[in-house]
Amino acid sequence: MIEDILLNVGYPHFLVLAAVLFLIGTAGVLIRRNALIILMSVELMLNAANMTLITFARMWGDLSGHTFALIVIAVAAAEAAVGLAIVVAVFRGRRNVDVDRLTALRH
Amino acid sequence: MINVPKDGGKVVIPAGKPAATGLPAQSDPKLTHWDRVESKLVGEVDKTDPKAKPVVKAKSVGLALLFWAFAAASVGGALFVVTRRNLIAAVMGMVGSFLGIAAVYMMLYAHFLSVIQMLVYAGAIMVLFVFVIMILNRPEDEPVAPSGRAGQAIGGLAILYLVGRLVMMLIHVQPARPETAVAAPAPVVLPVATTNPLIDRLPPCKPGEALRDFESTVDTCKPVEVADWGSTKAVGYDLFGEGLFPFEAISLLLLIAVVGAIAIARPLNEDDQTETTHKGKTA
Repeated sequence: MIEDILLNVGYPHFLVLAAVLFLIGTAGVLIRRNALIILMSVELMLNAANMTLITFARMWGDLSGHTFALIVIAVAAAEAAVGLAIVVAVFRGRRNVDVDRLTALRH
Repeated sequence: MINVPKDGGKVVIPAGKPAATGLPAQSDPKLTHWDRVESKLVGEVDKTDPKAKPVVKAKSVGLALLFWAFAAASVGGALFVVTRRNLIAAVMGMVGSFLGIAAVYMMLYAHFLSVIQMLVYAGAIMVLFVFVIMILNRPEDEPVAPSGRAGQAIGGLAILYLVGRLVMMLIHVQPARPETAVAAPAPVVLPVATTNPLIDRLPPCKPGEALRDFESTVDTCKPVEVADWGSTKAVGYDLFGEGLFPFEAISLLLLIAVVGAIAIARPLNEDDQTETTHKGKTA
């Protein structure tokens, strides 16, 4: 059984790997307070979603999943650019990027 | 590796190859990709011959080892991102994770996306993060800053829930069928734009129906072309066919993101900028 799981690499392996990566990304977003680490964790989660898309595309023999993943990569790049710009702007005003101390909008 | 035999200049699409849609297209589900490679190298692999088995098995062991190595790289890099205090170390862990993910894409026959992954993530986004970390110029070793009590509780519950779901999935998962994931996917059949409008108007040929040179084509269907599954050509046909509108929308989104990033990140006025740099120097 264990040998079967270790040697016979199939679709479930890729899906579980994607789930584990998504899990780690979620943990990073929820545990860390540094905005940069949170952005990196979000990138990890997007990558995990991409891996799931590509695995299912492979599973069903449908290339639309690849197109979708490509578009997700472009959106992730745009998100990273804008997110880092926001981090820089916040840092310029407050000298830190700790998300727990960004309470200016609290009433 | 376009699977088209050449006989006397005429290229015939092999019959029995299903099109890109529908269920996983395998010519023979019993044969793996490595079986085909083997059969090309040493002739047909005899399934009943016990001596032929270990050769194929050894190949799949190598493949499994590669998968586990790259999976470990991606998961280890991800753990590095979440646990490191040093931001540069976290970025390097992220790069390792992305490279491992790109290799895993390669194992899923997504060649084009694998290269894009390396270029965009391990190249561009990594540089962006390093650049911002250098601009912020924070002290290197920042203590790990856990969130407040409520945030920790919510985070712990969410992680527990996700781990539980993962364990459920692992319990219910079927035993892996290696031949499905390892076998090379069937090539994608693409429509070909011809210069002859009469041929252009015809419906595309089904696999095995038409010849590819135009002179001998009988006017019943439009000739088609095949490309490797997951290759740039095949993905490009899909992207500029069905995915044309999202593609154009993405171009607009990227333009807005670039303009927005510059508008957000630049200082409000010149005085502000000089004051900030001055403060940065004295601090």
